[in-house]
Amino acid sequence: MMQSSTPAAKRRIGLSRLSDAGKYILLLILAMIFVGPFYWLFSTALKTIADLAAFPPQFWPAHLDWGNFLQAFTIVNFAAYAANSFILATTYSILITLSSALVGFGFARLKGKGKRPLFLIMLSTLMLPQIITIIPTYVIFARLGLIDTYWPWVLWGLGSSPFLSFLFRQFFSTIPPELEEAAILDGCGYGRIFWRIFLPVSVPVIVTSLIISFTGVWGDYITPQLFLSQQNTTLAVAMSVGYTDPHGNPLTNVIAAGSIFYILPVLIIFFFAQRYFVNGIVTTGMKG
Amino acid sequence: MDALTSPKITEAPGGIHQKAVTRRKHWSRYSSKTFYLFISPWIIGALALTLIPLVYALIVSFTNFDGISTHWHFIGLANYLEILKDGNTWYSLSRTLLYCVITVPISVAAGLGLAILLNQRLIAVGFFRTIFYLPSVVPIVATAIMWKLIFDRDAGALNAILAPFGAPAITWLVDPYVFYVLIILTLWGLGGGMIISLAGLQGIPSELREAASIDGANAWQVFRNVTLPLLSPVLFFEVITGMIGALQTFIQPLLLAETNGATSVGSVPFSNYLYMVNVYGQFFANQRFGYGSAMLWILFIIILAITLLVFRSSAFWVYYEVDRDE
Repeated sequence: MMQSSTPAAKRRIGLSRLSDAGKYILLLILAMIFVGPFYWLFSTALKTIADLAAFPPQFWPAHLDWGNFLQAFTIVNFAAYAANSFILATTYSILITLSSALVGFGFARLKGKGKRPLFLIMLSTLMLPQIITIIPTYVIFARLGLIDTYWPWVLWGLGSSPFLSFLFRQFFSTIPPELEEAAILDGCGYGRIFWRIFLPVSVPVIVTSLIISFTGVWGDYITPQLFLSQQNTTLAVAMSVGYTDPHGNPLTNVIAAGSIFYILPVLIIFFFAQRYFVNGIVTTGMKG
Repeated sequence: MDALTSPKITEAPGGIHQKAVTRRKHWSRYSSKTFYLFISPWIIGALALTLIPLVYALIVSFTNFDGISTHWHFIGLANYLEILKDGNTWYSLSRTLLYCVITVPISVAAGLGLAILLNQRLIAVGFFRTIFYLPSVVPIVATAIMWKLIFDRDAGALNAILAPFGAPAITWLVDPYVFYVLIILTLWGLGGGMIISLAGLQGIPSELREAASIDGANAWQVFRNVTLPLLSPVLFFEVITGMIGALQTFIQPLLLAETNGATSVGSVPFSNYLYMVNVYGQFFANQRFGYGSAMLWILFIIILAITLLVFRSSAFWVYYEVDRDE
């Protein structure tokens, strides 16, 4: 709290006038609303089939059925789908981080004719509705026989992402030019400058980029749904249709259990990495 | 005035001056090629994965291509005319605009409100920030499952809460309620915008607010005349990106539909029949690739037009402190 010598400055402004306790209560209520769905998911995952049919639904099941979590792995080939998701997400995130770093570096440090208009064009594609290209891309890839393979992700990864390139570019712009000038005088080509100097200092941005792209593919539903067959598809798609009993009725409790496993990696990544993340947005995006 | 052409060199014998100039010219030629080399992933990627599909969709929109057969022909503007005459087009467009007009302002405003709350000096602010932000990173499939569960007739939390008050088991996942389920599901993810607003808020020096307050402004006036204008670029960004996203929504309505699985476009309740759901159905249920492509291009133009409008309006309400000339 900024202390100033003049009494007027000590007057609390705006929300500061509400008592701290009031703010905490408000935060707690809001937090409960936001966390509510997670809680309900968890309690449903622990319910037996009988509990599911009971009305009104209990807030906490009388008998905890941990077996649902086991079933989540067995009814649907969870491990296989998870592996697919993991392979796709890792491949894509590594490729796109690398390609976006290259592009970002080019815009940040190199000179070229038409650099400014090209940069503006790249930024404007950020506003391009992604949906507009995905269905035509599907048609084109179908004619090229790339459907039901992992090649689309490789190609997308190599093509760089305007958003991530922008992120890298903003970050690289903050690095003092003396570093690269010294290297040039030593005879270094820009390839080496990029690889040996700029990349190592941009670890936070690299981590941010990897996380964003990894969780993006992990959670992506529409692309694997379109581009992959039911066998080769990712967890995202398998989760939405998998868990049914022999009659075809959805097993709500197992669906809930499976969902928990599905989102757990994302939650863990975010809990640990949110420091990088929020700082990344603050320092590279919003200030001048 | 850079070092290579500084006045000092003119004193030296002509030979050295020549070398300095040549080195500079050589350098700039070198880096232009290098520049293009470095950004080649984007150029190739943008061409192949963005421009070509766009143009392809444009061409197909003038045909009656059905996705598989080889006998198709150009039918000129027939698709576009049919789209304009089809009641479904206008209906789905109106649902989408309604969805956009409801979710975007509420998301931005509520996100800002939460950001203000989190900008206070309280303990565990980081903990609450994580809680509010987390829903926006949860995979879409899981979000749909969670909210479908809450609004489920038999096992849902909402009916569990209402039951003690004597309410019967209401089926929420049908018209007209399911539209509100969609909206609530969307708003649950407003944490993403909140983080951006928070970053913007923290960029405003508190001395400005205190100075205004010393001059006699009350809390609301400080907010309206100091905080809000300085935040307007950030809010503008959120509105634009929020709108563009909202107008393209179609996965959530599909996931909320009665039967599991995305091919069940037909089971999407009418109140959730958004424009892109319509498009998706044209492609994969009706096999009308030409028609669907035309619908895509129309959506593209609509998004461009609305974005342009908002950009124009920004002159009236967005305040830039520094004219960024970068």
